[in-house]
Amino acid sequence: MTFNEQELVIGCQQRNRVAQKQLYDVFGGKLFAICLRYTKNRDDAEDVLQDAFIKIYENISTFRNDSPLEYWLRSIAVNTALNHLRQHKYLKQLDDIDTHENGLAGKDITLADFQWQQLLEFIKELPIGCQTIFNLYAIEGYQHNEIAQKLGISEGTSKSQYSRARTLLQEKLNKETRFDDGSVQTK
Amino acid sequence: MDPSKQNSFEEQWKKAFQDSTETPPLSAWKGIEARLDEEEKEKVIPLWWKTPRYWYAAASVAALLMVGIALWDGSYDVNNNKANSQIAATDKQLIDSQKAIIEEEKGVIQTEKQIGKTQILNSENAVSNVERRKELSEKDNDFISAGEKLAVQKPAFSESRNDVQPSAENNIAASSGFNKERKSLLASDLKKTDEIADLNNNPEKPFVMSNPDAASQILAEALTPIGYKDLDVYVQKRYVFFKPDAIASNKSPKKEKKKQEYWADVNVMPASFNPNINVVNAPSAYASANASRQSLSGSSRSGASYALQTQGAKRISKHWSVETGLNYLQGNSTYEGGGYLLNAVNSQSENVLQSALADKTASGSNASPNSPTTGGGAAYSASNTLYIDLNKEVINNYRFVQVPVQAGFTLNPDKKLSYSVVGGVITNFFINNEFESASGSIITSTPKDDVYRNLNYSATTGLRFNYKLSAKLKATLSGSYQRSLLSGFKTSESLESHPSLYGVAWGVRYSF
Repeated sequence: MTFNEQELVIGCQQRNRVAQKQLYDVFGGKLFAICLRYTKNRDDAEDVLQDAFIKIYENISTFRNDSPLEYWLRSIAVNTALNHLRQHKYLKQLDDIDTHENGLAGKDITLADFQWQQLLEFIKELPIGCQTIFNLYAIEGYQHNEIAQKLGISEGTSKSQYSRARTLLQEKLNKETRFDDGSVQTK
Repeated sequence: MDPSKQNSFEEQWKKAFQDSTETPPLSAWKGIEARLDEEEKEKVIPLWWKTPRYWYAAASVAALLMVGIALWDGSYDVNNNKANSQIAATDKQLIDSQKAIIEEEKGVIQTEKQIGKTQILNSENAVSNVERRKELSEKDNDFISAGEKLAVQKPAFSESRNDVQPSAENNIAASSGFNKERKSLLASDLKKTDEIADLNNNPEKPFVMSNPDAASQILAEALTPIGYKDLDVYVQKRYVFFKPDAIASNKSPKKEKKKQEYWADVNVMPASFNPNINVVNAPSAYASANASRQSLSGSSRSGASYALQTQGAKRISKHWSVETGLNYLQGNSTYEGGGYLLNAVNSQSENVLQSALADKTASGSNASPNSPTTGGGAAYSASNTLYIDLNKEVINNYRFVQVPVQAGFTLNPDKKLSYSVVGGVITNFFINNEFESASGSIITSTPKDDVYRNLNYSATTGLRFNYKLSAKLKATLSGSYQRSLLSGFKTSESLESHPSLYGVAWGVRYSF
């Protein structure tokens, strides 16, 4: 039996296990990719994914068709990941950090040559604060004031952490690019 | 930094992860499923104190009780006030009431003195109370001159307040001025006039006012009715939001599953049926054989019985339903005791049921060929019978067609497992009765014999478990109890029967 999206929601609201499984089958992969972005390893990502789906099933009765289902599911996954980070005190001390320019700010770096899995590895290598804020700002599209509110930090901290993340990522991308085409990056 | 480039950088990352998907490990779903199972188990246990429904019910009952008590008290007060109004009709009693008020106000002043400087707030409240009563009393000038006494009371009161701080004095003055204004308002207010009469005639109220406790005074103040012009007016702002696509988007989730309105049941019910026959008066043959006492000693025993039931029901609300149907009941039982009578002349024997039924049918006019009379009762002559004290179980079986009409209340009606409590009345149509004679032959009674009541009524109640097999089909298991409301016999002087039945029915239900 397969459900369309609305039937899936209604089925999950009625705690129909088939519908719950199908929701998981349809969106589990996408949400797991989100969980991987916010954590450092697969085990943690799996924990977050489980928590997120339990939350989804418990709260799906509150879902209204005001927004697309996927957007609602993604936001739950992101919030669950942030809770996970808070619980493990990864976000305990996020301070303003000095950013240094690496001379790559003006350069056009294209991501087209990279698989998303490679990019994921770059993100996961970032310090946890930078990783979280980069995810929220660059990929989820939150503004710095929203991030500050979510994480209980100042807007300045969010900006400086993001700037640091961006610098580090540019360095990684540049490094990878240099190795690929053999050219030497000049500063 | 150039914002367009910055956007370009973020857009690229966003795009890169937009459709990213990674198959989660198998263990992830197993973990989720285990947690869901755990939650469901917790929910199935019917812990009533964890169920908000019961708390709501309890709260409703408590609220009703409170309202009931309040109404009861209110009605008592109304009567009391009516009585007071009648008393107020006589001037003399009015004056007495005024005197009582003045006495109480003196009490207030005494209290004020005691409170002194330290409790200015209390004093002010009390002052305003006195002022109000003064004003109310003045309002009553048409009836009595007690207002003058209150006017005299005022300077006395002012003197007694000399030790109160000036701010309190100012408040008194302000309050006085305010009350003058209110007086003019109140003059046209008929309701206030009634209230004045009430206050004047009820000496308890000033007594309550004189309580020096600040909280009590504030409470009393709050409860004192004030003119409508003194009421604060709150205007609630209303915001109307218009969302053009709201109707379209809300339509689909509200598309609820159509509630099943009708269903049909088919059940098989193994049961324990007991006709509860009692020989209440010795049959004439037994009496002649000097065995009256022995004839009363027998009793019925229930036997393995069954019923085939078909039912139809209509769901009238989420929880309530009405049910009716057509059942066939085969009620088997035995009767033991009462001994035998043996005719010394023709050696025919007769047990107590035979004898009693023979009495019954002998008095009837339309005994059929197969009626109990053919069992030999008529052949008995009273003088030739011997009583034999021998216990033997004899078969005593019944057949009925039943038409139940029941109401059902279902808990968890839309869940996999639901529970129904049913109760109602069953109309029993008597088909026949077969009982074993002393000689071992079977004697059959039919409605034509006019022995048994052709139409009898039973009360029934039961509990049913419904397990949803599919959207349309449910398996049911119900336990039920039935008991006849009337005796199974038509006006019989020697026999009485109130059949009862316990049964457990298995069945299937199809919903339409």
